[in-house]
Amino acid sequence: MSEVLLRCENLARSFGGLQAVAGVSLSLPAGQVTALVGPNGAGKTTTFNLITGNLRADSGAAFIRGRPIMGLRPWQVARLGVARSFQDLRLFTHMTVRENVLAATETSAWFWQPGGAAARRRREERAAAALEATGLAPLAEARAVDLAYAERKFLSMARILAAEAEIWLLDEPASGLDLASRLRFGELLRAATARGVAICLIEHNLDVVVELSDRIAFLDQGKVLAEGAPQAILRDPALAAIYFGDRPQEAA
Amino acid sequence: MIAYAANLATIVAIFGILAATLNFLIGFAGIFSVAHAVFFGLGAYAGAQVALLLVPDALLACLVAAAVAGGLSLALALPALRVRGEYFVAASLGLQMMAATLFAEAKPVTGGIGGLVGIPRPTLLGVEVDVLPAALSALALILVLTARLQRGAFGRSLRAIRDAESAAEALGKNVAAAKTLAVAFACAGAGLAGALFALHLSFVNVESFTMDQSVLVMAMVIIGGTGTLWGPLIGAVILLSLPSGLAFLPFIPATEVGAVQQIIYGLAMTLLMIFRPAGLVGDLAKGRSTA
Amino acid sequence: MLLLQLLLQGLQTGALYALTAAGFALIFGATRIFHFAHGSAFTLAGYTFLLASGAGLPWWAGAAGGIAVATLFGIGMERLVYRPIQRHEGSFFTVFVAAFGVAVVVQNLVGMLAGRGFASVDTPLSRASEVLPEVFLAPVFWIALGVAAMLFAALSAFLGRHPAGVALRALAQNPDLIRTYGLSSSRLSVLAFALGSALAAPAAILAAMTSGLNEAIGHHAMLISIAATIVGGVGSLRGAALAGLMLGVAESMALAVVDTQWAEGVSFLVLFAFILFRPSGFFGVVQTR
Repeated sequence: MSEVLLRCENLARSFGGLQAVAGVSLSLPAGQVTALVGPNGAGKTTTFNLITGNLRADSGAAFIRGRPIMGLRPWQVARLGVARSFQDLRLFTHMTVRENVLAATETSAWFWQPGGAAARRRREERAAAALEATGLAPLAEARAVDLAYAERKFLSMARILAAEAEIWLLDEPASGLDLASRLRFGELLRAATARGVAICLIEHNLDVVVELSDRIAFLDQGKVLAEGAPQAILRDPALAAIYFGDRPQEAA
Repeated sequence: MIAYAANLATIVAIFGILAATLNFLIGFAGIFSVAHAVFFGLGAYAGAQVALLLVPDALLACLVAAAVAGGLSLALALPALRVRGEYFVAASLGLQMMAATLFAEAKPVTGGIGGLVGIPRPTLLGVEVDVLPAALSALALILVLTARLQRGAFGRSLRAIRDAESAAEALGKNVAAAKTLAVAFACAGAGLAGALFALHLSFVNVESFTMDQSVLVMAMVIIGGTGTLWGPLIGAVILLSLPSGLAFLPFIPATEVGAVQQIIYGLAMTLLMIFRPAGLVGDLAKGRSTA
Repeated sequence: MLLLQLLLQGLQTGALYALTAAGFALIFGATRIFHFAHGSAFTLAGYTFLLASGAGLPWWAGAAGGIAVATLFGIGMERLVYRPIQRHEGSFFTVFVAAFGVAVVVQNLVGMLAGRGFASVDTPLSRASEVLPEVFLAPVFWIALGVAAMLFAALSAFLGRHPAGVALRALAQNPDLIRTYGLSSSRLSVLAFALGSALAAPAAILAAMTSGLNEAIGHHAMLISIAATIVGGVGSLRGAALAGLMLGVAESMALAVVDTQWAEGVSFLVLFAFILFRPSGFFGVVQTR
């Protein structure tokens, strides 16, 4: 199962004079976790925004199963099977945990959802399953704003699970999690990849990266400097230097 | 006495519809409109014309009015909501400010400054009826619909959009479409109230659809509290009883009563926002409005 | 030469609109508060001048009074209304409703105390003379343009060099700073409101001398301010000022084809056109949400 579910080619975007993304190309195959690493400001989140349509790309293209998606609005990209999490979570703060997850299953903007009672039951089952998988079932009626930090992170994941997307773009999903939570998080990812989900992960915690990813793309100043197996990339001293701030002079 | 009570009840029901629909829009969906009176007016003129030109059937007038007001609201909402919330506020402000001129100039439809007079008494299936039962049924219908929408998937979508619009969009929700539908529903309701208003007074003119009227309805929503279904209705009752109360105060010259009312509404809104944002009835169920 | 006359008239009105809009944009940019009562600062300044002149006071006393009243109003709104609200909730809803309530109160108080209908101050400055064939200009024209130019120059200098001004600009360009530092620091916030409201005062005073005031002028000033801020691009003071100027000219030129009561409609149409075709405005930054 390694069909490429999402592919982007030479995405570029600048802000004023600053070239935030300067020709990023990525392939996300089904069932694999690709980690995007790089120093702050490397353009990782911007790349996500370009793919999801939150930002318009200056140039480049992106495809889901071969279908071009440049220029589509974020909700259209989402409906094509992309689920995305945010660094600052953006939970539906005044809604309960259950409502947060249920909302992820209701994509129609009309006054009522299509499908009648049977479809509604199915959506509720999906929501319940997502709550079970993330361990949030006991907190179903708690308000999102009242949750503890780790619980909020898992609620963000529960929404993605409930959306039944096949492509996940996760922005620092494991940051600040204690070890036990990280292990649980890892299990969620493994269960998803076993089902064929393609996951792309922005992550600063290198332990998490090594544990969970099948491939790494190293970004710096808007470009992919290197791509490959985690061990190989992380052992490269030049990349480590960039990551930790000692930028080499103009390369030979 | 009975006639007075029936008249008051009808007006309360009509304004209850206005307040409930505006509450749905600004209190629940978070879409700020100061032009609710404009759609009230569009519905009133539409309903009046149906009664004058076709048949004064209450149901027909209400349906046409709702369709006209709701349909025209799309012209405002579709462009403005594609972008940011502040744009809709600005657009609605501009619309309300122009409304008096628009209504006054469109003589063939609105009767100009003089308005439309001699609207026949409403009928239902050929039988003459009072507006009161129609207004009460309409109010009940609007409250039921609003409650169902708020509790169902559409309400969840609107709340999600309010809490974290980009996250809602990232989950596949067409934010602009949802907001536009919310506006269409609320404005159709306002139009419905307008038709009832026209049939009740047998007369409509531009004076009833000015900014002052929009302020009044907003004050009803704020004072009653945005978190509950009954809040707007209670706000309507309170504020509609106010003029009679004011009439007993000797030091207010008759010409200034309107201005004094508006000052009270404005003060109430501001003070409530500072001290008790949940309004008088408050947000019993979910504590949504307090910190 | 009607068009030239209308154009010049438009520049005069536009200069006043530019000042008012820049005031709103300054406040909104620095504090992210949608100060829907900005029009009231305009109204209060104008009517203070009107009443002072009516009472026989010299023009500079009326003008100083107007500026003082507007500035105090802005500061008052910040301290008494917005700050308490932001302490416990501060959603767009509460801020908007509170501001709108104040705007309604001010409009009706002014109407009650100063009478309704158009009122203006007749001064020798408002008397027009023929400068070109069929083109009439009053000294007020030069004063309006001059005052606006001077104030904008001073504002630019302040925002560019003075530490407080630079801080205001930083806040405007990076609203995250507001979030990180827990809304703008208290003194900067007061400064933004004082400065922004004061900018509306000269515009109101000059309006009192030219087109006149009525109690609903606050709403008109508000619509212009918001429209200009949007058209100019949210976050750009220069954009808001230019857009205000443009709206003034457009409103005046429109009089060549429509009656005066549609003047409002022009601002609305321009706003709508921008919403449809260029939502980020002239200089605005497209923001991810």
